[in-house]
Amino acid sequence: MTQENISGASPTLSRLVQELNRLPGVGPKSAQRLAYYIIRLPDDEAYALADAVTSVKQNIVFCEECQNLTDASPCQVCSDTRRDRTIICVVEDPLDVLAMERTRSFRGLYHVLHGVISPINGVGPDQLKLKELFSRLDRPDVVEMVVATNPTLEGEATAMYIRRHQGRDDLKVTHLARGLPVGGSLEYTDETTLTRAFQGRQEI
Amino acid sequence: MASPRTYRCEAIILSYTPLGEADLLVTMFTRDQGKVRAVGKGARRSTSKLVGHLEPLTVVNMSMAHGRSMDIISQAEVIQSFSSLKEDLMAITKGLYLSEMVDGFGAEASANPELFRLLLDTLRAVETNPASDMPLRFFEFHLLQVSGLMPELYHCVECRQELEPDAHRFSPNVGGTLCLDCNPDDAHLRPLSLRALKVLRLLDRSGMAEACRISLDDSLAAELKSLLFATVGYWLGKEIRSNSFLEHLNNKSHPEVYI
Repeated sequence: MTQENISGASPTLSRLVQELNRLPGVGPKSAQRLAYYIIRLPDDEAYALADAVTSVKQNIVFCEECQNLTDASPCQVCSDTRRDRTIICVVEDPLDVLAMERTRSFRGLYHVLHGVISPINGVGPDQLKLKELFSRLDRPDVVEMVVATNPTLEGEATAMYIRRHQGRDDLKVTHLARGLPVGGSLEYTDETTLTRAFQGRQEI
Repeated sequence: MASPRTYRCEAIILSYTPLGEADLLVTMFTRDQGKVRAVGKGARRSTSKLVGHLEPLTVVNMSMAHGRSMDIISQAEVIQSFSSLKEDLMAITKGLYLSEMVDGFGAEASANPELFRLLLDTLRAVETNPASDMPLRFFEFHLLQVSGLMPELYHCVECRQELEPDAHRFSPNVGGTLCLDCNPDDAHLRPLSLRALKVLRLLDRSGMAEACRISLDDSLAAELKSLLFATVGYWLGKEIRSNSFLEHLNNKSHPEVYI
């Protein structure tokens, strides 16, 4: 039952509950709790939240190079002249760029696909930023592409699709190593991961 | 007596969606309970003991606990990972097409071991021969059969006369084949060549291995594909979304190499 159907509920409050209810992972009860929390917030905090939502919609754009979300295009990474422009790391989502940047071990450029090919959900190559990727790969100064999609079935399928359709014979195409996570356990590791961990074993 | 709180089952993972911060909502088809949706707590964390065991198109031994609204996956162990299938883009897409149809046809809390066996056999056939479409045709035909929707192939569904060896018509709406003398007012009616009827009858009598040995020319393969896809789609009552990517790959088909 929506708030709208509850007699005595304010239409203004119902509208907020309904809007919050649209957010991923927020059910009707959580939406009600969040709405009442917002009502109890001091004015400046509530307006700051509203302003942040408005601002993000008005100011965030896709970087013309890497398609990451940014305030100004090209983004900070793409405009940094110290970065290695010969290598492009392809990731699924903007959050993956943040995760990679935290490692401080990659100094090349990124390309954000904004999803993966997901046949069951009706997401095909046309819904991803693949055309933009392939046009970047046309530049001869790019010598390597690291496909860093998640090691899930759909991530792997996307990697295969990119590998197949990238159209340059001289481009080095790699993907991230597969293996055991730090803090993981051999006992619970699936056979595919363990097989690949063996294949990628290193001398110590 | 109250039913036990935990249970074990053998399942084929069909799909999953992220749930909350780090959980997965997993849809699986089990041998003994039909379609089951269950939560894998923390399964998206890289150190979770469930990681890698819940990927779609994997046969898994599950330990589950009954939850208040949904069951909880307590343990999962891969029995068959179909690792060769997962190194071929076309085979993956075919596998996802199969899982989407099982998700659509399989009922929750209703065992259908024949459908479980059919999915398993078809995944094995796709893994062995990813380029062939015959495993999909066999699957679509027998999916109708194990779902109680087997089309009539030997008698006209209207006049009940035995079908002559001739061209006929077919409609999922009336339940199968019609002779040329019967003309029901039916929007789903389509021509059925004698060759296609013979292949359908052969699929009815064959196992997967025999079906995979059938060789069809392009026009017959296209007729069969269109007829079975339309019939399955008719009964499913919704779009089979993975088909559009499958068609996209078919139009650009050439051998796949894993990077």
